[in-house]
Amino acid sequence: MKILEYEAKRVLGESGIKIPKSVLIRSPEELGAQLPSLPENLVLKAQVDVGGRGKAGGILMADKAVAVETAKDLFSREIKHIPVKEVLVEEQLEITHEYYLSIAVDRSTKHSLLLFADAGGVEIEKVAKENPDAVRRASLPLIMHDVPQFMVRDLLGNAPKELGPVINQLYHVFQEKDALLAEINPLVTTPAGVMAADAKLIVDDNALKRQGITVNRDLTDREREAERHGFSYVELDGTIGVIGNGAGLTMSTLDLIEYYGGRAANFLDVGGGAEQERVMNAVRLVASVPSVKAIVVNLLGGITRCDEVAKGIISAGITQPVIVRLAGTNEAEGRKLLSDKGYQMPDTMEQVVKVAVEMTR
Amino acid sequence: MIFGDKKTGLIVTGATGNQGAFHIALMNEYAKSIGGRGVVAGVTPGKAGQEVHGVPVYNSIRDAMKEHDASASVLFVPAFAAGDSIMESASAGLSLVVAITEHIPVHDTMKAISYAKMNDCAVIGPNCPGLLSPGEVKMGIMPAQLFKRGHIGVISRSGTLTYEIVDELTRAGLGQSTVIGIGGDPVIGQTFTDVLARFSEDHETKAVVIIGEVGGALEEEGAKSAEIPIVAYIAGISAPPEKRMGHAGAIIEGGEGDARSKIERLKAMGVPVASRPSEVPRLIHNLI
Repeated sequence: MKILEYEAKRVLGESGIKIPKSVLIRSPEELGAQLPSLPENLVLKAQVDVGGRGKAGGILMADKAVAVETAKDLFSREIKHIPVKEVLVEEQLEITHEYYLSIAVDRSTKHSLLLFADAGGVEIEKVAKENPDAVRRASLPLIMHDVPQFMVRDLLGNAPKELGPVINQLYHVFQEKDALLAEINPLVTTPAGVMAADAKLIVDDNALKRQGITVNRDLTDREREAERHGFSYVELDGTIGVIGNGAGLTMSTLDLIEYYGGRAANFLDVGGGAEQERVMNAVRLVASVPSVKAIVVNLLGGITRCDEVAKGIISAGITQPVIVRLAGTNEAEGRKLLSDKGYQMPDTMEQVVKVAVEMTR
Repeated sequence: MIFGDKKTGLIVTGATGNQGAFHIALMNEYAKSIGGRGVVAGVTPGKAGQEVHGVPVYNSIRDAMKEHDASASVLFVPAFAAGDSIMESASAGLSLVVAITEHIPVHDTMKAISYAKMNDCAVIGPNCPGLLSPGEVKMGIMPAQLFKRGHIGVISRSGTLTYEIVDELTRAGLGQSTVIGIGGDPVIGQTFTDVLARFSEDHETKAVVIIGEVGGALEEEGAKSAEIPIVAYIAGISAPPEKRMGHAGAIIEGGEGDARSKIERLKAMGVPVASRPSEVPRLIHNLI
């Protein structure tokens, strides 16, 4: 889960990294009360979880005199369709140079990957492409407690030595916060010292509990319902509802729908051991999507009890047709239950998909 | 076959939990049907002296190994304790850990894999269905009835999709040497590269199917290293960016790891890529 900028900066601040002087406000009025303690030149940053926030109008500069007016303007905006509810008001920095620093989980090496670049404030992918020599990287096993000094020197190259301590400080944040990514872009030098002008922190979803982070995501009603039942659910914009067991099989079912010229309405992985009630809930959830005209159920596995699945589909009592592919234990019983009720049960997942695509054409 | 055979003795950790107990029974049913050793001991701290489907339970892997000859463990412990269990297996001298558990924090996985490597212990998974070598050994949760012994290796990031493709292979008369699920997490122990290296040393295996999905670049890295003929299938061509498709590792991030570019890169390396699971047997026939 991505942590908002102001929270990420607070975490960095606690670790000893210098961050700009700032206040977080939830209304323009709050800024009025805080103004006396703030410097003359300010920058107002909408706290929304979107990429390209600056270009989308989420970051505004203002002098103290017009700051409240500017805040009103920012709170009235939607940044890429997300309403602005919190604004971070910061001092404008006197930047002498911008750098890039990040630490990420590297799937290939299974270690942490440290990246430092002589150019900051822009996309690192772009820097890497245009000026590969400006980007330096180091791979560090997570069982290492600190970043060795030789690695710090290698990363910095000719950049000022005063940037060095930040590398270890950020590595400790990365370790302590179960981060998938900890990024400072830009990391800046100013007359007042080295500072994190922007910060990004992505925490591992599987570690939120031990990090004490409660998730407060903007979910749709259906997404919330799916989460409650423990389904992996992604909404798409087609007409064929999809229920599968296992992420790979469900994804593959979506791909087949596209291959045969149809469009999937969703991805729903019911998980293992799908019993009657679980299947019923999944079918009802997918059927509740207004655009869904037909539903494909593709369940395969040694321990899936087909009679349970059949009962679940039947008891959902929905109006759209359900085309079923079933393979597992008690297959004959499951098939009989469904065929007695007139359900279509082609043998393979490919046939199931073809039937559904025909139906929704 | 790779990673083990009939003579391989297995230890199941998390043996007294629902999943652990259920799959001890299935693994030993399979072992019995083919004359293998199967699960020789279970481990759950604090439950020494109990039995699960006739298998004795110990407090620690070390205790179990004093009484039994085993070389691999299969993990069913809860996510918060799974990293620990991987390290315990490695420390006790096992050469292989199969981590079935899902939702292990990535940092735990990274540390445990580093530690296991220092102890010359290979980790399969986490978040995987394990492996099955038909007629030899089953370590994990794969449904044995779909498999048939033969000369095709299968490596997959998925579970049920693997069964789907194994079913296609078996129906087409293409038996398997070893089928292995390497896991759906972003960081996993054995990668396509590692397993392909083992398959290329295995005289029984003539060709390998790699089943990948969106996220990362492990499929391409594997294909580049392969010294044995391979065929690929990549799931998620219709997956939208930045959405996690069920698996923690199945996400297109920062414009990287999408199925289309993976497929293009594989094809550029000369790897035949199936556009549907049902195409895999034909592509294999073309190769061998």
